[in-house]
Amino acid sequence: MKKTLGILSLLIAICAFTAWQNPDFLNAYNLQNTIRWTALYGIISIGVSFVIITGGIDLSIGSVVGLVGATLALLLSVKGWSVPAALFACVGLSLAIGLAHGLLITKLRLQPFVVTLCGLLLYRGAARFITGDQSLGFGSNFEGLRAFATGSVPLFGGFNLPYPFLIMACIAIVAAVLLNLTVFGRYLLALGRNEEAARFSGIRTDNVIIAAYVFCSLLAGLGGILFALDVNSVQPAGFGEFYELYAIAAAVLGGCSLRGGEGSILGVIIGAAVMRVLYNAINILGIPTHLEFAVIGAVILAGVIADELVKRLIARRNAPA
Amino acid sequence: MLKRGMLAAVCVATVVLGGCGGQQPQQTAEGGGAAPAEKPIRLTYVTNGVDPFWDIAAAGVRAAEKDLGVECEVLMPPKGLADQQRMMEASLARGTDGLAISPIDAANQVGFINQASKQTKVITQDSDAPDSDRLCFIGMDNYKAGRAAGKLVKEAIPDGGGVMIFVGRLEQLNARQRRQGVIDELLDKPIPDEVEFDAPDATHLGGKYEILGTRTDNFDYAKAKSNAEDAIASQPNLKCMVGLFAYNPPQMLAAVKEAGKLDSIKLVGFDEQNDTLIGIRDGHIQGTISQQPFQYGYKSIEILLALAKGDTSVIPEDKFIDVPMTVVKQDNVEEFMVELERLRALGKQS
Amino acid sequence: MTAPLLEVRGVSRRFPGVLALDGVSLQLAPGEVLAVIGENGAGKSTLMKILAGVQQADEGEVLLEGRPVRFGSVREAQQNGIALIHQELNLADNLSVGANIFLGSEPHRIGLIDFRAIEQRSAALLQRVGLQVSPRTLVHRLSPGRQQLVEIAKALSLDARVLIMDEPTSSLSQAETERLYEVIRELSAAGVAVIYISHRLGEVKELAHRVTVLRDGKNAGELAKDEIRHDAMVRLMVGRDVVVEPREAPGLPTEPRLRVRNLVSPEYPEHKVSFEVFAGEIVGLAGLVGAGRTELLHTLFGVTPALGGSIELEGQALAIRHPLDAIRAGMALAPEDRKGQGLVLEMAIRENASLAAVRRDQRWGLLDFAAERALAKEAITRLNVRTPNDRKVVRLLSGGNQQKVVLGKWLALSPKLLLLDEPTRGIDVGAKQEIYRIMRALAEEGVAILFVSSEMEEVLQLSDRALVMHEGRISGALDRRHLTEEAVMALATGARHPEGVPA
Repeated sequence: MKKTLGILSLLIAICAFTAWQNPDFLNAYNLQNTIRWTALYGIISIGVSFVIITGGIDLSIGSVVGLVGATLALLLSVKGWSVPAALFACVGLSLAIGLAHGLLITKLRLQPFVVTLCGLLLYRGAARFITGDQSLGFGSNFEGLRAFATGSVPLFGGFNLPYPFLIMACIAIVAAVLLNLTVFGRYLLALGRNEEAARFSGIRTDNVIIAAYVFCSLLAGLGGILFALDVNSVQPAGFGEFYELYAIAAAVLGGCSLRGGEGSILGVIIGAAVMRVLYNAINILGIPTHLEFAVIGAVILAGVIADELVKRLIARRNAPA
Repeated sequence: MLKRGMLAAVCVATVVLGGCGGQQPQQTAEGGGAAPAEKPIRLTYVTNGVDPFWDIAAAGVRAAEKDLGVECEVLMPPKGLADQQRMMEASLARGTDGLAISPIDAANQVGFINQASKQTKVITQDSDAPDSDRLCFIGMDNYKAGRAAGKLVKEAIPDGGGVMIFVGRLEQLNARQRRQGVIDELLDKPIPDEVEFDAPDATHLGGKYEILGTRTDNFDYAKAKSNAEDAIASQPNLKCMVGLFAYNPPQMLAAVKEAGKLDSIKLVGFDEQNDTLIGIRDGHIQGTISQQPFQYGYKSIEILLALAKGDTSVIPEDKFIDVPMTVVKQDNVEEFMVELERLRALGKQS
Repeated sequence: MTAPLLEVRGVSRRFPGVLALDGVSLQLAPGEVLAVIGENGAGKSTLMKILAGVQQADEGEVLLEGRPVRFGSVREAQQNGIALIHQELNLADNLSVGANIFLGSEPHRIGLIDFRAIEQRSAALLQRVGLQVSPRTLVHRLSPGRQQLVEIAKALSLDARVLIMDEPTSSLSQAETERLYEVIRELSAAGVAVIYISHRLGEVKELAHRVTVLRDGKNAGELAKDEIRHDAMVRLMVGRDVVVEPREAPGLPTEPRLRVRNLVSPEYPEHKVSFEVFAGEIVGLAGLVGAGRTELLHTLFGVTPALGGSIELEGQALAIRHPLDAIRAGMALAPEDRKGQGLVLEMAIRENASLAAVRRDQRWGLLDFAAERALAKEAITRLNVRTPNDRKVVRLLSGGNQQKVVLGKWLALSPKLLLLDEPTRGIDVGAKQEIYRIMRALAEEGVAILFVSSEMEEVLQLSDRALVMHEGRISGALDRRHLTEEAVMALATGARHPEGVPA
């Protein structure tokens, strides 16, 4: 909880500043959009946080998003599969990718960076191959399915809660329970900090690590499905590009240590929200788009520095005199 | 380019390696061993990316190939400038008798185009590099196209209001020309001899038509959509959105539809993606400016073949071969779609 | 005594909440070997850090040849001829021996490193410490003992007149330790003064000219050469007499708890190992460093699964491919590398203590937090872990308390066979005694214990029976009656002891 406090303050600060500069930031429509995007990026960020907690990394997320998105569009629009069959195939594909990563990393002892970097290239190429490098979409069909990404539940005052948020909330609850309340989560945290000691304590570390990679790719695949349904057009060469970096950034902002063993699901979601709110704020405040990376980089860096300084201040104050 | 700079390590690998699995040159006519004495003429057609638009252009190339009896390869660089450069270098290394290219970054590719011009006949198509040694440019006058789009805006909102422009990136000359055309038309400026470009973050407020700004998305479709959403959220005076690249109008349409603002925000687009045409048919989009990619492909091969045979008379005085645009609106959209289907089918056959 | 080379007068150093040093004094003559001993936390390390310029004193003074000095940095101390060799080696093991010796003070010519000078000068230094390797050898190819000698050569390269050594033998084999003694004696004869910090009182007896004992940051006493005896040192360190009362050998059941037949470990595929351990028995596994004792425990526990042979626990044949198999069968291992393999240092006591037991205590995969708390509480009270609560991160505990947490983790599973690898390494005298008591109490309860130790006294004191290993095989077994230092050493060095009974 303490760890998420810093990032939560950053989020609140950005929101407050943006709302003060332009009250339109707070209108229902804008909040809905920001929440929807946060949810979509949040889902893939939760996935990668599990891998980061093991001390690993997954660079293939963006390409998995692209491949699964392209596969879904291909199966539904071109091959004419039924919706359940296509979804089943996409989930199966994601699981298989995660399993392959996990096996290569644990059984062959390859470095996660290398395995998933090759995955990044491989799945991107595969997406372009299976689609013949053609953009694919759902047209105006599958409105029912697309509602999972674009639909919303009306709440009060004209505010609608987007479905993706509900999906992310369910995933987040499952992930938080998994991480904090189960034996699996305890093993994950322990082996992230000291894999050797975990193995000496009778933990089948390989299985736990494999599970983390499977979970990560599964959520990347789910993200791919939702992104494809939302954007309604999948360009295989570019769809989902760099999303792994957004996901990793959100996870690290949310308190995951790249050294492993640390992480909070709530923090990761707030981290994803910070990224999305920043993008939104840049548009809302009319900052030129070519400055957006500079602004995002600077704000996050400032936030991380402030967080570190505050932590030190607290540590000094708490130290026995 | 900012994006690529920021995400250095991974991107380098992506750009360099990612391209390797990319487009294989599509060769139909086999260089047969029957007539070793006369080397067949080989021509190269280079796009600026991967897009349905270019599939139609490729169909034009294939049609010309068949009609004129030459051997052609079509290169579609999936990853931007570096990829395009790499593909062309490979093509030049293999040897080609003529190169038609759509430069991604005209100003910075002058050196490369000049270099290539020493080795073979080079023309530009779709987007020009006017300062280079290219022999001529085949395409639409993008500034005029922009002005035509501006006229569509005026038709859509005759009473004036805020206008926002959406585009993939502004480094490309055609993007800048289209944008400037839209802006100048809305501000009722005369057509200049030499187009001057506004700064990327320029706004023009206070007049009947207010230019509220230009948003870029670097070809990320999700970003294109969220840009449109953010504009809807933050600009109370927004009356019309103009999408300069093919994928922009469908994303704008989705955003407006989901915001429930189909009545209050009008849309104008470029190119002919399916969702754009359906949007026009259904009355949600005012119109789109369509180029004739089939003609780009066909004309490029035709001109290059003549040049390769030493005939320079095909080059006009101003070195500009105009392929006229088509303005698609609700009244002609049906017949346009039929014709498009025919050309696409042709493209697939080839 | 000649005029002191180095004198410390009434030095104090305060840390937040702790008075680490409280008016400590000591003197050091040229060529003298002074042992500084004391329990963990007695202030030895702080004192040495002040002498070596790592930290500064709050009060008191340090005199070098009668002249007051105050070192602001390690470099300053080195320039004055005082060098500290840390317990953990500080070598860059990807570099050559020569490069390490001159790391930070490379001789250079016109801005380039002068490799010839490095080579010549390091060759001379290596000869002085009696290390016969080329200066071009990469450090990681050397054994820890030889690396220690490189450290000493590095200190000598700085013309050190005072050499401070912090637990230099903790990772050395017997032969390497002997070699180190020789070097220290030669240096001492050449007038270099040595301050020697060690928990191993046998070494102190062997080497020191004089002993200074610290306790709770104060001088607790001094022993001249002829007063250096084991009990005298312990008394000064602990402040009371400590006696390990000898234990009656237990009456053993007829069937062994653990029976190992022709076991082949991956490290020594050419040897087959057979032995037995009975319930209630404490068996010491002695031998030189590198004799294969740790490897044997790792093979028993499934860390490096056996290539052949059989392991039976209570008559049940076991197939052990992973530590989990061993744990399910009722085994437990407190590994030698406590921080790297025994504990998750950044986790709390509670989470470490429950790490092995959460699998058993789970309910449909969910953690049972109440059981976990109870388990941690039990471990803390039963093993007397000194901590305010079970939320404390184990990194912050002393070595002894960390080892208790490791034991607590296993006791929660009520093991039938407890494997302990160097259970008291780096632990101070008081905590050692506690670990011994725990081991005996467990044996009384019927747990079979097999422990590895490189400390002769520990093996002699604790073992009901000792197995001695030499180069991957068991060279002999010694029961209580035949368990003497000479017998163990003879077997450990490969000689067949006449009274050794076959294992």
